[in-house]
Amino acid sequence: MSQDDPTEFQARLKQFEGRELGEPFVARDPVNIPMIRHWCDAMSDANPVYTDPQAAEGSVHGGIVAPPTMLQAWTMRGLKPPPTKGADVQKELWGVFDSRGYTSIVAVNCDQEYARYLRPGDLLTHSVVIDSISDEKKTALGQGHFISQLHTFRDQRGETVGTMRFRLFRFKPPAKGDAPKEAPKEAPKDASKDPSRPRPPRPRPGMTRDTEHFWAALKEGKLLIQKCRSCGKLRHPPEPMCPHCNSLEWDTTLSKGRGRIYSFVVMHYPPIPAFDYPNPIALVELDEGVRIVSNVIGIPKDDIAIGMEVQCEFVACDDDLTLHQFRPVAK
Amino acid sequence: MAVRYADVKVGDELPKYVHAKVTRTDLVKYAGASGDYNPMHHDEGIAKMAGMPSVFAHGMFSMGLLSNVLVNWAGAASVKMFDVQFRAITWPDEPVTCTGKVAGKREEGGQKLVDVELLCETKPGTKTIIGKATLRLQ
Repeated sequence: MSQDDPTEFQARLKQFEGRELGEPFVARDPVNIPMIRHWCDAMSDANPVYTDPQAAEGSVHGGIVAPPTMLQAWTMRGLKPPPTKGADVQKELWGVFDSRGYTSIVAVNCDQEYARYLRPGDLLTHSVVIDSISDEKKTALGQGHFISQLHTFRDQRGETVGTMRFRLFRFKPPAKGDAPKEAPKEAPKDASKDPSRPRPPRPRPGMTRDTEHFWAALKEGKLLIQKCRSCGKLRHPPEPMCPHCNSLEWDTTLSKGRGRIYSFVVMHYPPIPAFDYPNPIALVELDEGVRIVSNVIGIPKDDIAIGMEVQCEFVACDDDLTLHQFRPVAK
Repeated sequence: MAVRYADVKVGDELPKYVHAKVTRTDLVKYAGASGDYNPMHHDEGIAKMAGMPSVFAHGMFSMGLLSNVLVNWAGAASVKMFDVQFRAITWPDEPVTCTGKVAGKREEGGQKLVDVELLCETKPGTKTIIGKATLRLQ
């Protein structure tokens, strides 16, 4: 059965139903007044039953309670990384969705039920089960699947104090429209001509003392390949030591800039405002023998092919940055 | 004073709660109070990289604001159930207006229960949250 078979994919999703998203998680702190105060500040909620012991004493609760909507806050991990032991079912599930292009997510519903109000000192344990995953649905956002999670919060006696059903929609972001074939976009130089919105400058490549000669030469229209002074072998990207003979002595040689596409990818998502999409990125094998990463320009993405002969051009992205780009050689 | 069960009529409107303007500071405060540090809600650069025009409010922040309608009306009453649908995004600088209406009242197992319908709007007609809740009144 093929990986692309929709029923096979649905069956894979169904296998996640009923699974727990890892071990139940015990709150790092018991329910406490300082965190209740933070919450009430954030919500502009001045009800004294949450923060004033005397007023709370005289209320129906007979003492301080936590706002019910704080239920989930007690077991949030904050910036603490998730535990490394055990299966990360959530990550596994997102991986399955990602593999089929369902990369966007939005929260759809949150239904909470409170069995009782929480009091300072209560220590919660939070467990999550994947309740259901829908068939593919079409919505205004795009095509995707609804995922319903059932969260259960138990106290120190193991009694359920609240539940939360959280529904998410995992979907394929709609394509922004591929570039028309007859008018290929030439990224990135022409990208700045799009008047509809100002775009940020192209991100700078990471430059170090070991690589700055390469980037500086591009500004002068030269593609330099590093050459070992000891064994004479070429290498790219630049690095201080020869991987063949371990010599630290090196020089450069000027490339003719001619090569063939060894491999390529077309970036679609996530869109980064400095780039045009789809954004073809190739690994070019130069005639001199080393491979170099670059954009491919002057050709619709669907026409790019492995083995295609390309020539280097030097494109000024802005005043400070010139990059090498490869264009197919006309036959 | 908090409302009493005997005085509640179906169709009663709950006092409106208005959060005049959602600020980025509000979102940071909520992140700290809730432990939800998803950077989409406070880091402009990351939000823009993901294709959003700016950071935006946590759905659960709006849900929390909406609960003020319940608390302001019913005081220390016990909320038994609170369900929301997230319908639209709330952006910084938008006002949030929270309203509610009594949809029903019933006595069940010795408890006096009131069902309310709830709504969050950023501007008239833009419903960010549609919700419902059940309260136990005295």
